[in-house]
Amino acid sequence: MDGNNFIYKGYIGKMLRINLTNGSWSDVPLTNELAEKYIGGAGMAARILYDELKPGIDPLSPDNKVIFLTGPVEGTMIPTSCRIGCYAKSPLTNSFFHSSAGGHFGPELKFAGYDGIIFEGRSKKPVYLFIDNGLVELRDAAHLWGLDSNTTQHRMFEELGSDEIQIASIGPAGEKLVRFACIICGSRALGRGGLGAVLGSKNVKAVAVRGHHSVDVPDIRKIKMFLEDLYARFSANPSTAEILPRYGTPVLVNANNTLGLFGYHNWQDEYNPESERLSGETMRKKIVKRDKSCYACPARCGKFSIVESVSVEGCCVEGPEYEDIFSLGSMCGHSDIEIVAAAERLCDDIGLDAIEAGVAIAFAMECYQRKLLTDKQTDGMQLDFGRSDLIIPMIKKIGMREGYLGDVLAEGVKRASEKIGKGSGQFAMQNKGLTYPGHSARGMPGFALGYATGPRGASHHDGRPTGERTGLVQRDTIEGKGEYTARINHLNILTDSMIVCHLPEAIWGPLDITDTLVRCINTTTGMDLNLENARLTAERIWNLIRAFGVREGYRREHDTLAPRFMEEPIKTGPSKDMVISREMLDYMLDQYYEFRGWDKKTGIPTREKLQELGLTDIADDLDAYR
Amino acid sequence: MQVTLKSFANIKDVIGQSTKCIELAPGAKLSDLFTYLNREYGEKFNRQVTDQISGKLVPFLILINEKTFRSTTDMETLLNEGDTVTIMIPFDGG
Ligand code: SF4
Repeated sequence: MDGNNFIYKGYIGKMLRINLTNGSWSDVPLTNELAEKYIGGAGMAARILYDELKPGIDPLSPDNKVIFLTGPVEGTMIPTSCRIGCYAKSPLTNSFFHSSAGGHFGPELKFAGYDGIIFEGRSKKPVYLFIDNGLVELRDAAHLWGLDSNTTQHRMFEELGSDEIQIASIGPAGEKLVRFACIICGSRALGRGGLGAVLGSKNVKAVAVRGHHSVDVPDIRKIKMFLEDLYARFSANPSTAEILPRYGTPVLVNANNTLGLFGYHNWQDEYNPESERLSGETMRKKIVKRDKSCYACPARCGKFSIVESVSVEGCCVEGPEYEDIFSLGSMCGHSDIEIVAAAERLCDDIGLDAIEAGVAIAFAMECYQRKLLTDKQTDGMQLDFGRSDLIIPMIKKIGMREGYLGDVLAEGVKRASEKIGKGSGQFAMQNKGLTYPGHSARGMPGFALGYATGPRGASHHDGRPTGERTGLVQRDTIEGKGEYTARINHLNILTDSMIVCHLPEAIWGPLDITDTLVRCINTTTGMDLNLENARLTAERIWNLIRAFGVREGYRREHDTLAPRFMEEPIKTGPSKDMVISREMLDYMLDQYYEFRGWDKKTGIPTREKLQELGLTDIADDLDAYR
Repeated sequence: MQVTLKSFANIKDVIGQSTKCIELAPGAKLSDLFTYLNREYGEKFNRQVTDQISGKLVPFLILINEKTFRSTTDMETLLNEGDTVTIMIPFDGG
């Protein structure tokens, strides 16, 4: 460890390691090498977990570890420097997973005196962690166990004597090891990958942080000049200055549906004739009360909504976001925006990833449509598409693992389809265990390749839909999409390591790492990166994460799409007949592996590539898997 | 010649309606439609589609009838009498 010689600004310079099995903890200094080679956030966590987790461990066993980690920009005034990342081996995908959330938790963790926290082992009893301006305490949480995430936060505010504390908490779903349980930070979610279940498996109910440390930068005048320029660009760009602030992500409902790229009825189609009722415009008119921003974000895309309809009276929620409207609304075939908002709030309270929950319900509806579920298995519910009245009861069943169907769906769509069988895998809309979010695979080939190769499975933050959706690149071609997708992977993983929000991607990229990101890193840390070595750093992290997957058994044959996306063309609407056939995918995979320097047959990074990236130790490891 | 303009979200807010008939000179191109909209609705419209530092259109798609065109490459496309033009919102993220 060269922690005492840690030279970079931006970071606090240490992490907290908690051994839950024996209730002890210690400080872990950051090293220059870790910062230089992996920056922070996803990159740093991937390296730590690659080194510390044995391949093949059960993600819900004490052998797994959960890391909460910021990046060097958190707590500065770099726009969107608000993120907290969470990392573990995922119980959904069985590989390295990273999820990040906005809000205020990330900066507050640094103000409390740490860049991150590593949880290992398993506590005998429920506990929560409180870091109060550098003082660490592991407290009993028996009285909080069983409470929803919102009540948990309020009880903790009372107990800790202040509400000026940032709390990340699981709900009952995390305690019950629902494989897509999330972690709620304030009103934002570390949503995907089931990281709430990993925390629950360790008997950790919550993490609370508060503090007054500052985040130092190398040259305040230099960063101020840079920030003036950066904030001006946020104010000049239509997306960050006009659209995100007014409608937030739900603006995509009408946008995607107009292009015929909006998942409907479990992706049986991609054109929803009733999308207007679910649109950002309807939402703004009907339920949005005010706009909300994360720490240091001028784009303020958050929407605070109150549902006043009789059925779900008094429900307030930050959201719903586009993804919630897609999964809990359109996928289930109804168009009641108030039910979507209430359902999203319920997912947050119970602690469920709203994307997985909605897609799981839509999957069950298609099973019911095809008569693959008996009335006994559905507890007498007639699970027809369009039954908005069943969304809330179904979320409760899944979150509490109630009944046959609740328990089966709590395993995630992949495992549920394996249990239900009868050909249901054909319409289980998942990749590597993670369900598809609300962006079309069939209508955007480059993005489909991003889904197929995503180390997290069907994540919309490994590849991105933006280039093809906005016409920056041609949508209806597979040519050049290998390099296109790989460069976007690198942009995403660098931003996830810094960590900044992806939504202002027009400023950061959007097709490749830009000088703007390099300047963000250099002005906060004092590093001297240039475009070339920033890209190399991102590529190193991407290869490291791929290597993690290789050790867990992932190969080329897993870089695929749901059968529906490869065999059933879009039925109606402006993107009618679009499909990504197996041949098209194979062609793009070849391009992708070739650009990456990976073995085309297996999808394993070559020794030469890993050595070029300074990952010789990992090249040695992977020899056993070639 | 008359074209029908369709819009939603911020652009609809500026124009005041989701569907509007617009009179353009015969032989008008997509760029002429945008010149018209900039003249008619001024800065309010301009801010929805143009980067205010570079003064250039940001990338977004435009549908003419059901065919897709790109703001980055296709602004010289000729419009025809009776065309329906839908301006997609220039939105990154999501
Ligand atoms: S763009 Fe939205 S989600 Fe991202 S940091 Fe800003 S307010 Fe938060």
